[in-house]
Amino acid sequence: MRVLIVEDDLSLNQSLVSEFEARGFKVSSAMDGREGQYLATEYPVDLAIIDLGLPEVSGIDLIKALRSAAKDYPVLVLTARDRWQDKVEALKIGADDYVTKPFHVEELIARADALLRRAGGWAQSELVCGPVVLDTKSQQVTLEGEEIELTSFEYRLLEYLMLHAGEVCSKTQITEALYDQDFERDSNVIEVFIGRLRRKLDPDSKFKPIETLRGRGYRMDLPRGAPDSH
Amino acid sequence: MVAVIGWTCQEERPTRIERRDPAQVSLQSLRARVLLWVSLALLVLFAITVIGLDAISQNSSRLALNDELQVQLLGVIAAAEESEDEELSLPDDAGLDPRMSLPNSGVYGAIWDADGVPIWYSASWGDREWYVSRWPEPGERIYARVEEPDQPVLEALLMGIRWDFHDGSSLPYTFGIAVAQDDYAAREASFRRNLTGWFVAMAVAMLILLTAVLHYALKPLRRLVRELGDVEAGRRQAVSESLPVELTGLARNLNFLIDSERRRTTRYRNTLDDLAHSLKTPLAAIRALLTEKRSDADSLSAIDQEVVRMDQTIGHQLRRARASGGTGLGLAPVGLEQIVTDIVSTLDKVYRDKQVACELEIYEGASYQADPGDLNEIFGNLIENAYKFCNKRVLVQVISLADRVEIVVQDDGPGFAPGVIELVLERGGRADESVPGQGIGLAVVAETAELYQGRLSLGAPDSGASEVRVTLPRRGYKLSKKVKNEW
Repeated sequence: MRVLIVEDDLSLNQSLVSEFEARGFKVSSAMDGREGQYLATEYPVDLAIIDLGLPEVSGIDLIKALRSAAKDYPVLVLTARDRWQDKVEALKIGADDYVTKPFHVEELIARADALLRRAGGWAQSELVCGPVVLDTKSQQVTLEGEEIELTSFEYRLLEYLMLHAGEVCSKTQITEALYDQDFERDSNVIEVFIGRLRRKLDPDSKFKPIETLRGRGYRMDLPRGAPDSH
Repeated sequence: MVAVIGWTCQEERPTRIERRDPAQVSLQSLRARVLLWVSLALLVLFAITVIGLDAISQNSSRLALNDELQVQLLGVIAAAEESEDEELSLPDDAGLDPRMSLPNSGVYGAIWDADGVPIWYSASWGDREWYVSRWPEPGERIYARVEEPDQPVLEALLMGIRWDFHDGSSLPYTFGIAVAQDDYAAREASFRRNLTGWFVAMAVAMLILLTAVLHYALKPLRRLVRELGDVEAGRRQAVSESLPVELTGLARNLNFLIDSERRRTTRYRNTLDDLAHSLKTPLAAIRALLTEKRSDADSLSAIDQEVVRMDQTIGHQLRRARASGGTGLGLAPVGLEQIVTDIVSTLDKVYRDKQVACELEIYEGASYQADPGDLNEIFGNLIENAYKFCNKRVLVQVISLADRVEIVVQDDGPGFAPGVIELVLERGGRADESVPGQGIGLAVVAETAELYQGRLSLGAPDSGASEVRVTLPRRGYKLSKKVKNEW
């Protein structure tokens, strides 16, 4: 998942970047509103975390700009202003949630995860696709109730596919969401990880969870929800 | 030392700083304005009146003059008789106006025959002659003016008459009467002088009267301004409200403002004191932990707790200080439905996963005269608490009454956390002393409501539910002292 962080305080910005990267997010960061606006509108972003008090372009104007540019990914507002009028204004113009400074990074990451889940149409922290259950809080994955071991990249890849279950995810989309921008795009590393995931999720080729659509990408084919719920 | 500026020459003097009484300046200005405009109004009014009356007077004089000319002319016609030589003549004892017998008396008569030859001139003409420029036809009347150099101007009436003689013949004659204009002009001038004099006297009298009335009428205002100066100087706590009815509202509002400002200043001072006091303890704790130079998990957790405590303290104290205090002055009534719907749609977004069913019951057009920021804090804290702690359902009621507004927020959550009621109800309770759950938000609401002389009460309408009720009196009303807190 690619997160854009726009925060003008250098130490807080760096701290957030390292905390999000440590949890497997790919992070772009900007120190002012103008640079943030450029990154928010010109590069793929899954979630934007925007401070309201930014130099150059204010956080409010930045949110307005990206919403008017038809960017519909979730926006989480960071603000030192805790007045209700400010919160209402920020959410009215298109933000999806707010976190008041100072905050615990864990709380911010939990709110970011929740927004990403909601953006994928998931209401709960557990993503369930047939026999596969991914708990975004504990970052555990089970197959028919049995926990399976995944590497960090495998987990992020599965999470991305499950968040977009039923949708075609192109190789470019997956690459941009999971890797740094300077990643070699012609590399076959995505195919390698997809192959590994298939082997771990479907060792007996019983469920066929991930379908390859030649020339278009991959799709999580397992239906959303537990099998007995359908 | 002499300073020459332009055409003036002034001697420099030490600057004398004179503090003029602002009341004096403004009152003089107010009085000067009234006097100036009333003077101008009187000037215009009296000028129009004088001009009008003068015109009426002139017209009246003209009518009187014409009447006199007619009467004199009829007198001459009546006195004329046929002479023995079949000519028209006037006997000596004709009984005419005696002024016609006196030279230059101002009343003149004359008769001319058909050829324009005068057959009779009154003795008053003396050597003067009347040159007629146009002769009237029989039966015709001509008003004319006789003007000759070095002679008084005369107003005249000429009338053509065909005289029937005894022998059956008839001849045309012209009868003429002239009256000196001087008398009338003098009378008119005198009338105009008197009129103007009286009106000037009336205007001066009215202005003097008005000045006296203004002095008397502005007396309470001068007193009010003087008392305000005393309040400013600290000699009084408030201005007197025993004033004329037109000024009691002003005095009441001034006292309200003075009291609000005093309370606000006290609140700021207390807030700063509390803030300083509350921050020093956690700061001391952090410093102690840092001095020990320990970096174990317990120490870091302790520092984190102190940071949370400082954050809560700052947030709480700033919210207290930020509340406007409900001065009520310059505050327009704020529509409550918009505030509630904005906050609910914000919280619906934030708590989307929880799928809260929020029901709104708001009196149509409900409004309250307060700072919008204060109302946002009250509703925001109440409704967010309900969203946070409810199971699935929240009810927000806004009841608008003549004397107060009731805000009721219910939720189907587990009820209030232990210690919340005591915290909220305890006057002067330290809400920044960490209490979990609803504590901080409700304490802020309670304190903000108090600034508007309102109150917060807690209840449990059903088991397992909680209700917060905020009652805000409207301006000019006070709540009864009875406080009901169901629990």
